[in-house]
Amino acid sequence: MIKTFTQNDLLRYIYQETTKEENTELETAVIFDDDLSNDLSELKQTVLALDGVEKSPSKFCIEKILDYSKTYQAHAVN
Amino acid sequence: MRKYSVSDSELISLYKNGNEEAFADLVNRHRNKIFTTVYMIVKDQYLAEDLLQETYIKVVNTIKTGRYNEEGKFLPWVTRIAHNLAIDHFRKAKRYPTIVMEDGSNVFNSLDFSEDSIESQKIKEDTHALLRDLIKELPDTQKEVLMMRHYMEMSFQEIAEATGVSINTALGRMRYALINLKKKMTKLNIAYDKNLYPK
Repeated sequence: MIKTFTQNDLLRYIYQETTKEENTELETAVIFDDDLSNDLSELKQTVLALDGVEKSPSKFCIEKILDYSKTYQAHAVN
Repeated sequence: MRKYSVSDSELISLYKNGNEEAFADLVNRHRNKIFTTVYMIVKDQYLAEDLLQETYIKVVNTIKTGRYNEEGKFLPWVTRIAHNLAIDHFRKAKRYPTIVMEDGSNVFNSLDFSEDSIESQKIKEDTHALLRDLIKELPDTQKEVLMMRHYMEMSFQEIAEATGVSINTALGRMRYALINLKKKMTKLNIAYDKNLYPK
């Protein structure tokens, strides 16, 4: 028997908060349930879009952070 | 959402033993999520970079002096530090902090810039700026959960505890945030395009 899944379950699945058993059941359910498959696809696309919103710090900023760590002893002594 | 072959905890252990490469991996792995969290509060690239550096000074000092607590996850811990510093910045400036997005300015992503033409990069940046505006328009409770889950990588259970609601409420808020966002994107004809969202 195929288990019924809610939209909340789909969200937990997308964010990898479901168990291995739930993953298997959900992936099976998606094959047989077009609505569920469409819902999952839409949620995934929107979540993916959120990654595009991310901003990056400059390379210089990251280098300064890494330099601070490498020269930590010098800072600590001073 | 991404899985790594070496976990954050393993990288921190290596770093504690003096492996600076492990620290570089850790910083680069999470730089965008932490930076985005700060940027969405201060809306200024340079100020956000200053605050990111300040955040990592605290991180380095804590780890190198053996005061890092392994109980929590690394990313939520660092993001909390960054978030608090950003809020402190506003308090010092006697302004009221709210999580807000950029106003549509075109600050190019300097790291990825060379990979695309100026025109395609401009389209990407404009689309992303528009999306940030759409997130800004979400109700506060939905925006809060979205930020905590997607950018701070807190679990729904952790979000529920932090915001004093049930896990189903936290999930529901996130779901409505995504549904609302999708509706707004459709209305504005922002179609999903793998070239715009390459991850």
